[in-house]
Amino acid sequence: MDRRAFLYSLQGGLGSIAFSSLLAAEETKNPAKGPHFPNAKAKHCIFLYMEGGPSHIDTFDPKPELDRLHLKEFVRKGEDQSAMSSGKRYFVKSPFRFRRVGQSGATMNVLWEELAKVADEICFYRGLQVESVNHPTANYHVNTGSKFGGDPAVGAWVNYGLGTENDDLPGFIVLPEISYPQGGPANWSNGFLPTQYQGTALRPVGSPLLDIRPPEGVTRTQQRRNLDLLKMLNERHAQRHPQHAELIGRLRNYELAFRMQMQVPQIIDLSRETQQTLDLYGIGREPTDNLGRRCLLARKLVEQGVRFVQLYAGTWDSHDYIERAHGALIRAVDRPIAGLLRDLKQRGLLEETLVVWMGEFGRSPDNGVRGGIKYGRDHNPSAMTVWLAGGGVRAGTTVGATDEIGQSAVEEVHHLRDFHVTLLRLLGLDDNKLTYYHAGRFKQLSQFGGKVIDGIIA
Amino acid sequence: MAVLFAVWLACLSTPLRAGDSEESGKSAEEIFATVVYPLFQERCLPCHGRNADEIEGDFDMRTRASLLQGGGSGEPSVIPGKPDQSPLYRAVMRDEDDDWPEMPPKENDRLSQKEIKAIRAWIAGGAPWPNAARIEWLQREYRGNAGEDTVVVRTSGGLSRQWTQRRYARKDVWAYQPLRRVSPPPIADHPIDAFLEARLPEGLDVAPPADRVTWIRRATFDLTGLPPTPEEVDAFVADTRPDAYVRVIRRLLASPHYGEQWGRHWLDVVRYADSAGFANDFERPNAWRYRDYVIRSFNQDKPYDQFVREQIAGDEIDPDNPEMLIAVGFLRMGPWEQTGMSVSRITRQMFLDDVTAAVGQVFLAHPLQCARCHDHKFDPVPTRDYYAIQAVFATTQFAERDVPFLPEENCGAFEWHRRYHEMRKAATEELAKSIPKEKKTPDDFGRDRIVKKWRTLWNWGDDRYRPIALSVYSGKTRYYKRVVGRLLLPKDPEAEGVLEETSILRAGDLFSPIEPVQPGVLSATGIPAEIPTTIRGRRKAFAEWLTRPDHPLTARVIVNRVWQYHFGRGIAGNPNNFGATGKKPTHPELLDWLARDFMEHGWSLKYLHELIMTSQAYRRSSTHPHPDRLAKLDPLGTSYAVFQPRRLAAEEIRDAMLAVSGELNREMGGLPARPDMNLEAALQPRMIMGTFAPSYVPDPLPAQRHRRSIYALKLRGQRDPFMTVFNQPSPDESCERRDTSNVAPQALTLMNSHESADRALAFAVRVLAETEDDEVAIRRAFRLAFSREPDQEELEAVQRRWREAVEEQRGRSLAPREYPREVVRRAVEENTGEPFTFSETLFEYRDYVPDIEPHQVDARTRAFADICLVLLNANEFVYVY
Repeated sequence: MDRRAFLYSLQGGLGSIAFSSLLAAEETKNPAKGPHFPNAKAKHCIFLYMEGGPSHIDTFDPKPELDRLHLKEFVRKGEDQSAMSSGKRYFVKSPFRFRRVGQSGATMNVLWEELAKVADEICFYRGLQVESVNHPTANYHVNTGSKFGGDPAVGAWVNYGLGTENDDLPGFIVLPEISYPQGGPANWSNGFLPTQYQGTALRPVGSPLLDIRPPEGVTRTQQRRNLDLLKMLNERHAQRHPQHAELIGRLRNYELAFRMQMQVPQIIDLSRETQQTLDLYGIGREPTDNLGRRCLLARKLVEQGVRFVQLYAGTWDSHDYIERAHGALIRAVDRPIAGLLRDLKQRGLLEETLVVWMGEFGRSPDNGVRGGIKYGRDHNPSAMTVWLAGGGVRAGTTVGATDEIGQSAVEEVHHLRDFHVTLLRLLGLDDNKLTYYHAGRFKQLSQFGGKVIDGIIA
Repeated sequence: MAVLFAVWLACLSTPLRAGDSEESGKSAEEIFATVVYPLFQERCLPCHGRNADEIEGDFDMRTRASLLQGGGSGEPSVIPGKPDQSPLYRAVMRDEDDDWPEMPPKENDRLSQKEIKAIRAWIAGGAPWPNAARIEWLQREYRGNAGEDTVVVRTSGGLSRQWTQRRYARKDVWAYQPLRRVSPPPIADHPIDAFLEARLPEGLDVAPPADRVTWIRRATFDLTGLPPTPEEVDAFVADTRPDAYVRVIRRLLASPHYGEQWGRHWLDVVRYADSAGFANDFERPNAWRYRDYVIRSFNQDKPYDQFVREQIAGDEIDPDNPEMLIAVGFLRMGPWEQTGMSVSRITRQMFLDDVTAAVGQVFLAHPLQCARCHDHKFDPVPTRDYYAIQAVFATTQFAERDVPFLPEENCGAFEWHRRYHEMRKAATEELAKSIPKEKKTPDDFGRDRIVKKWRTLWNWGDDRYRPIALSVYSGKTRYYKRVVGRLLLPKDPEAEGVLEETSILRAGDLFSPIEPVQPGVLSATGIPAEIPTTIRGRRKAFAEWLTRPDHPLTARVIVNRVWQYHFGRGIAGNPNNFGATGKKPTHPELLDWLARDFMEHGWSLKYLHELIMTSQAYRRSSTHPHPDRLAKLDPLGTSYAVFQPRRLAAEEIRDAMLAVSGELNREMGGLPARPDMNLEAALQPRMIMGTFAPSYVPDPLPAQRHRRSIYALKLRGQRDPFMTVFNQPSPDESCERRDTSNVAPQALTLMNSHESADRALAFAVRVLAETEDDEVAIRRAFRLAFSREPDQEELEAVQRRWREAVEEQRGRSLAPREYPREVVRRAVEENTGEPFTFSETLFEYRDYVPDIEPHQVDARTRAFADICLVLLNANEFVYVY
């Protein structure tokens, strides 16, 4: 595909380049480079974002020691501890039972019934640490590498690095819950990268893309004729301004938009899926329908060549009633996620698709007295469990460990920046080469560089 | 050291091999002292020695011995005399086929050819490493030998002597040089044209002047953000007086819309928003007073130096003047919050970092934030300066102060607005009553959270109607556990709290202070300042320093910004970054002359606009007679031989649509307006800390909704998709220049949105009311939208489409559009993990008066609305030339 065509596709349409060549200098400084490691297996990524911060202690990293300490007083120290440490606090044991599953013997809450069956596809990582204890800053940090928002999201970086496989669809698609996560769409921002790298949220209700349909009462014929008149005016206008190629780009965007009105609803239509497929994801029944639909859609999008799909599921922010809240959530996501892994596998897509499961932080071994209601857990940036599956991941392993109460990672401990570097590495990208010149320096996802976490990679 | 010294003696003055031309004639020792050693310090030691506990790859580069010993591989890194066999040399060569890692790791940090050659020469020469005193002597001795034009810039000093004494390419430190006294070359009538012509590439001719219609459209959008009316166009075209152009410029500068347009540019730079961002995205109920202050200041042609001083130190300059207390709202523009989960010292530091970065970018065109963790890598900005400037704000404290409304402030909407505010409050109290004391069901818990949060919001919202300003005071720091409402001015700001002592922080970490600093300024400017260490007066002194007429940055920065908005690019291409990594001025003499001339004319922006807009350069056509020659001789578009067209900004597109449809309400200022937003986006559930945010509901009356876009409510957590799709920047970062991307969703928005359909229909109704027959109507619509008549072919095409559309519309039965009166939220309640529901009444929709709708007009009008929609989508409508 030639460069010009690229510019004018949905993915392209790069600003004022053709117009003023003002950006020419940035262009040469910031070329999209393609994979730095051509042998990397993963070409796509499905990022399952468990918003709210799932408790590692109650999902994949049991802490029997807490049974002994249950309701004993817990004292936190350190001046930079969050204000959560105020007041009297006590240890909380997990209300859940655990078991070992698969050949690999991975540890899981017994409620993970379906995921247990695909445990050997998964690499659990327990060494990750983040920085922020508030949701929006932690969301921004996980998604963009910066706690403050305004930087490009991982999906934007990956698309910038790998380019597009389908000109008629955005390369970075987000499938949020009905309610957007804290921090809002800045979680899938293109930041300072060109706009075409922005995450496009397909809304779960209403029109998937805003204004994808004309107002009620406008027929397709009527719209086609209007577009024909517009085309005629724009073409004549372009003839009068032959030196401004951007005008042609804008003209073509109207045609592309017209096609998208047909295509997008077709892609998201699940009505022609077989019952077997629907069952695999738990679609059509509670409580799995919501995430099941989006997991299936994620698979379809990846099949269509979308680079990066991010799904949100939550909220896991169980300060209270963790047994009910986490229990319900696990039941709601277990089958859809396991179904996704199975479906990717049976279609031969798992090998080239990296699947990531993580939240913005883990949860604390202790709790304060919040109105004296049932036990829950607060935020914990020092310990969490994330897992990966698919393309290039060392499946069937558990890497790293937390201390005996789950308060802090103690083995294979890495900062989030290393995890970002590792994600990029799995997708064939080198964080140190995937840079973009902005505000006086070459920026990168990890902010200042980081190390690959070797244990995660096969 | 004795051992090292011996090594050094052994290697002293080993002759270089021939062929190292660049370095020939220099001893290896000299090369080491002047190039290699500083390079090690700056580029290698951060990972290989500075922090003794964390040495990458166990490779320590602090001494020759450890360097020779090498790292974890066990091999020596340097084999004196044999560069090709030295791993260090191979690493910096970055040969991909090599086993040695590429160093430095980041591709963009790769060493220059010159640096690589120096390392080669140094190794070839035996890799001598003299002691510190000798290095210093060598550096002094050979400084003059540096190959290129370099200078040392005097600063307050870096953390290392090395940094303090390092040399900068002269071209990279242009911004600290005093403004030159230059005169325009005597080759053109207008000084700007003279400077531009002097640098016009040889053999390149300039485009002829644009026609009058194009010019008045350009000038009108430029100064007011609105299209000229057909009558204004006619009057100008017919005006044969010699000063016809300048008359238009002056008329536009006198229009109150001037302040709205140029205020918008300023608000981009300072990141204006009506909310605080982060988890709660609390509204800032009085932020609009700062927005209106900015607009007022532009309209009054307030001298720019005064404008700067007021925003930085208004409260210290004249605490009894309401305008001054509103002006310092500038210092509060960044996103900020303090929740019960935050650590107050950290959020305080976030503010200090934010305000330091903002002042750096907005007034000094310096990304000072780069010096937060270390001495600046490229610019002569020591981290000491970063913290010295931060210390200026160490006594700056938040307060929503009592500030009486000025007669010129628009409080007109208060009563109307408050009605709905009270309804929401009452509804929340009703909801509260439905929750039992003993909460049992998920609904109980979920609704209880809503009640608690919304009470807080409404309570704070009451301040909207009170004479309060988002402001600051100077005092000691009080740490708050959480901030969920107005912060009051303490009785005695100096009594309670902590007098913050600012320190340089290691790696920007609040808990790792290195050494205390006094309040200060950007030392590289060479302009000294006495900033007092008292609680009050720091900002005043800083503001005075900033606006000294001999300051090398302040006037250059603003003149460059103004130039950029007129011509599409700055003389220096990064208006927020005049440092080494920013684009260099293409016409440095012009920039200096403009800055000086601007100050000599009382820092008057209106004077500057008139000066720029009366130049021939501003009058040029956007079509060049010889495009090939232009492309060849001016590939980067910096010659100004042709005028650069631009796409309208998001706000201009919407405002222009309202202007041509006749719906624009030109009322100025006041509480943020709530225009229609894409209904799905408006009702999109939005999480704030612990629960849902209230929905966005538009104002009930058309006139309230049809205000100019600058007055639209701007929430950080809920941006208007119409604005964002057309590149309205995020208010989280200072925006020096807007992007103008060209993507398909823009077509969907402009073609399919209700907002577009509404404008098109109103446009059609207006035109048909003003005209008698079809042809006249079409001519009128073209004149309103494009400032010109259609030609014959266009006229016929439109007539054909109109007839066809009438047939499509005939006999259609249409119903009024329905608007939601309530919205039902359903979510998993986080305490119980079970779903709860809640319904929110959208009170404004009860009284909502829709814009004119299709069912209210006949088929001919509806059909003409299709034509109008096409005109509003046309390239000719959204681009100015």
